[in-house]
Amino acid sequence: MSILEQLKKYKWMIPIIANADRDVKRIVLKNFRLKKKNFYPQGEYKADVKNLINCMLCLKMCRFDCNSLQGAKTESMAPAYKSLIGYYLSVGKIDPSKEENKDFINLMYECCNCENCKIWCPFDFSVVSLLETVRDDINDKGLTPSYIKEQIEKLNKTHTIEDTNIFKTYEEKGIENIESDGNDDVFYYIGCEMMKFPEVVKANIEILKKAGIKFSTNLDKRWCCGAPLFNTRHLDLAKEYAKQNIDLITSSGAKLVVTDCPGCADTLLNRYEKIGVKLKVKVIHILQLFKQLIEENKLILKTQIPEEFKNVVYHDPCLMSRNLNVISEPREVLKKIPGLNLLEPICNEKYTHCCGYSGTLHWANNDLAEKISQNRVNELIETGANIIVTACPLCELGLEKGIEDNNKKKIKIIDLTELIAKVI
Amino acid sequence: MALEKFGLIFKDNRCEIKDKEKILSKLKVILGEKNVSTREIDLIAYSKDSTLITLNWRIQGQLAALPDLITWPENNDQISKILKLANEEKIPIIPYGEGSGVVGGAIPIYGGIIIDMKKFNKILEINDKDLTVTVQAGMNGMNLERYLNAKGYTCGHIPQSIYMSSVGGWIAHRAAGQFSTKYGKIEDIVLGLEIILPQGEIIKLKTIIRAATGPQFDKLFIGGEGTLGIVTKATLKIWPYPEKRELISYAFPTIEDSLEAIRNILRNQIYPAVIRIYDTSETSRHFPQIKEAKDKVMAVFVCEGNERLVNLEGIITREKCEDNKGANCGEEPVEHWFETRFRVTETSFGPPYKIVFDTIEVSVMWEHAAELYHLVLDSVKKVKGNLHITAHASHFYPNGVGFYFTFSGVATGGKSDFEFYQECWDAVIDACVKAGGSIAHHHGIGINRARWMEKEWGKALRSLIDIKNLLDPNNILNPGKTYFPPEKGGAK
Repeated sequence: MSILEQLKKYKWMIPIIANADRDVKRIVLKNFRLKKKNFYPQGEYKADVKNLINCMLCLKMCRFDCNSLQGAKTESMAPAYKSLIGYYLSVGKIDPSKEENKDFINLMYECCNCENCKIWCPFDFSVVSLLETVRDDINDKGLTPSYIKEQIEKLNKTHTIEDTNIFKTYEEKGIENIESDGNDDVFYYIGCEMMKFPEVVKANIEILKKAGIKFSTNLDKRWCCGAPLFNTRHLDLAKEYAKQNIDLITSSGAKLVVTDCPGCADTLLNRYEKIGVKLKVKVIHILQLFKQLIEENKLILKTQIPEEFKNVVYHDPCLMSRNLNVISEPREVLKKIPGLNLLEPICNEKYTHCCGYSGTLHWANNDLAEKISQNRVNELIETGANIIVTACPLCELGLEKGIEDNNKKKIKIIDLTELIAKVI
Repeated sequence: MALEKFGLIFKDNRCEIKDKEKILSKLKVILGEKNVSTREIDLIAYSKDSTLITLNWRIQGQLAALPDLITWPENNDQISKILKLANEEKIPIIPYGEGSGVVGGAIPIYGGIIIDMKKFNKILEINDKDLTVTVQAGMNGMNLERYLNAKGYTCGHIPQSIYMSSVGGWIAHRAAGQFSTKYGKIEDIVLGLEIILPQGEIIKLKTIIRAATGPQFDKLFIGGEGTLGIVTKATLKIWPYPEKRELISYAFPTIEDSLEAIRNILRNQIYPAVIRIYDTSETSRHFPQIKEAKDKVMAVFVCEGNERLVNLEGIITREKCEDNKGANCGEEPVEHWFETRFRVTETSFGPPYKIVFDTIEVSVMWEHAAELYHLVLDSVKKVKGNLHITAHASHFYPNGVGFYFTFSGVATGGKSDFEFYQECWDAVIDACVKAGGSIAHHHGIGINRARWMEKEWGKALRSLIDIKNLLDPNNILNPGKTYFPPEKGGAK
C-alpha cells in the first residue's frame, strides 16, 4: 500500500484526533511522536521494522494459502508469526546471538518463497521479502546458519549450488556445448538444476536447431544466475554473479535470452535490477519461444501423443505464473499436442501451490519442504492425471520427493519439452 | 530462555504441572514424538488468539498467556487419550483451531495443554443429493469454500474471518457469516457432529434434517466454546453455486430509516444473502467516493440464487428502500465492499501508537434496535480516553438485528491499556443490556464477556454451569471461560 493510499485510508482519523479532548489529544500526539523510540530497535539495522509490525499485527488473511503453514500445520509457521519473531529478533526481545534461540533464527529461513501470501495481503507484502531484511541483520551479526554457509561455500568453490560445477558435466551427459562466435541471435541460458535433466536440455537444443535459430550455450564459462545469493542475502557476491552473467550473455551478441528455468528468468529479469545491475537483453522462458515457433509453423507438433502420456496435469511453477506472468503459453502449447487431455488442479495459474523446493526452506527444514511437495502432488493427482508436467527443474526435483510410495508407479513428472519431443 | 524477557498478562492461577517431563513422555507415547512440543517457539505461537488487545500486548513484548505443552493429534483416539490423561493429572486443555477468535476463547489463561486441530483437515464427502459436505473440524474455512466452489457448490457461510478460521471454530463460537440472511448461521448449517466429551468419550450425533427426539444435544456444542467437548467432524449444508447475483445499495437520511426499510424487506419474506448498513461515520469512512451517501447511512444488499427469484428480491428490496427515503447508489458501493471486505489493515495501525481498538457485536429485537444503537454510542463516548465509536449492522432477521460496534481510544490517567479496554467493553455491554439486547451476536463469550454472563442469563446460568460440571467434573476443558470470569473458574 502506497503512502498516498495509506493517508487516504486513515484520513477519517484526523478529525477524530483533532476533536478529542485536550488530555486525550496530548497522549495521542505524544504516542505518535514516540512511536520509533517506543517500538523500533536502537542503533543500526537493516530490518524493515515498519512493515514487520504491519504484518505481525495483521489479521492474517494470507495464512490459509501459505504453503509452509499448510504443510506444517502449526501456528509457529504462520506468516504473521514469522514477522512477529523477525520483529522480536530485530528489537532484541529475543537475543539472536544466543545458541538457545537458534529455532527463532531458523524460522527466518523456513519459507519457500512461493509468495502466495502476496496475493491476499492487504499491504501487498510478500512475507519473504520482510524476512530477507531480518536475514540481512543476521548476516551482519555473523550469525548466518551453517546450512546457509554451506551453500555459499559451494558457490564460492564451483560457481554453482552443486559440489562441482555442474555445467561442466555436459560431456558425460551427452549434452552438446555450443560456443558463441559473438554473433548469436539467441543465448540458451541453461539452469544449473536443469543440468540434472539432460534429456530436457538435449531436446531443447534439438528444437532450437530444427527451428533454424542461431544460438549458443557457453557451458564452459557458465556460472549460476545467483538466485541463492539473493535468497540468503549475500548481495555483494550476487552482484559479482550478475556482472559475470551479463558479460557472458552480452559477449554472445544475442538479442534474446531463453531459459529453461523460471528461477533464472526471474533473477536475470527482476532481481539483478534490484541491486543496480541491468541486463539489456530480453529474457523469456523457452516455452514462450516454442509457442511462437508453433504459431509460425517452425515447430510442428504432428504425431499423436502416446496413450500413457495422454492424461496430463500442468503444474504452474510459482515464479513462472506469479513473477513472470507466463500462464497461457504452456497451456496453449499443451493444447496443440495431438490427443492430449489437459487437466487443471483446483489451485492453478496465479493461485498455484508450491513444490516446496524453492527459497531457503529445503535447507532449513527439508521435512517440511517434502510435506509441501506431498500436498501439491496430491492436489495434482486428484485431477485424475497420470502425468504431471511442469516447466521448472526445481519443481520437477521437488515434486518428485512428494510422490508417496503408493503413487510411485502411477504417476510420472516430466518437463513440457519432453512432451513436445514425443510429438515432433 | 527467550521467554524470561516477556511479560505475562494472565499469570495468576496458572496450573501446576508437577512433573512436566512425565506428562511430556506420556503425550509422546499417545501422539508420537513429532506431534508434541514444549519448544519456546511453539509456546509463544500458541500464547494468543486474534483478540485485538493482544496486538497491543504483542508489540509491547507481553504474552497474553503461556501454554505448557502443544499437541497436534491426528485422530479421535489420540484426543480421547489426551483428555483422559488431563483428567487424571488435572491439567487444563485448550482446543485450538485457526486462532481467529476475538474474545480470548483459545487463550491458555491457566497454561495447560493446547490441542491444535489443524491436522483434522480432510474433506470426507460431498453428497450432492442431500446437499451436504462432511468435513473434519480443523479444516480451514476458505480452503473448504474454495474446494466447494471448484465443485460447483457453496457453503454460504462466509464470515469475515473465513481465510483464518476453521469449521471447528465456527461451531465452537456459534459463528455467523456475511451471507447469513439467506444461508443461515452456523446453527442452521450444521446437520451432524462428532464430538469428544471432556472425559474422553467419543459420541456421534448422526446427520439429520430435523428430529423430535428429545432435547437436541447438538445445541450444547454449537456455541460450547470448547468447554463441553471437542468437535472433530461435522456435516454441513451446502448449496449449488448461485446462478445470479444482484448488487443493490441505498443511502438513507438516518439509521432509523435504514432499519425500517430492512425490517419491511424481511417482513415481506425477502432474504437478500447480504444486508449491511453503515452509520454515518462508517459510511464516510468506507464510502467517501459516493457523493449521494455524504452524511448518510449506506445500506448494501446482495441478492443471489435462482435468477427469477433474485429478480423478484431485487424489485421488492428497491421498493422498500425507496418507501423509506432511500436514495439509489447503484452497484459501486457493493462492488467496493466485495473488493475490500477481507483487506483489513486497521488492526496494524493502532498498536504502534498505543491506540486500543476493538469491535463488539450484540443483537436486539426490532422494538429497541435504534434505542440500543444510540445508547451504546452515548455510553462509550463518555469513557475517558475514547477516540471514536461507530457501528454497522450486518445480520438481520424478520424479528431483529445484530449491531457491530467499533471503538478506539487511549488509556489515560495512569490506567493500563487493558483497564481502558475493559471500561469500553463495560460501556457497550451495559448499554446493550439496558436496551434489552443480547451481549454477543456471533463472536461468543470467551474471556472477554464471561463477567456479564449472569446478567445475560439470570438464574439460567446455574443450569448451564450444572451441565458443564456434569460433563466435565474436573473442569479441565477450556477452563476459566464462557460461564466463569477468569478469576473465578478453572482447574488450578
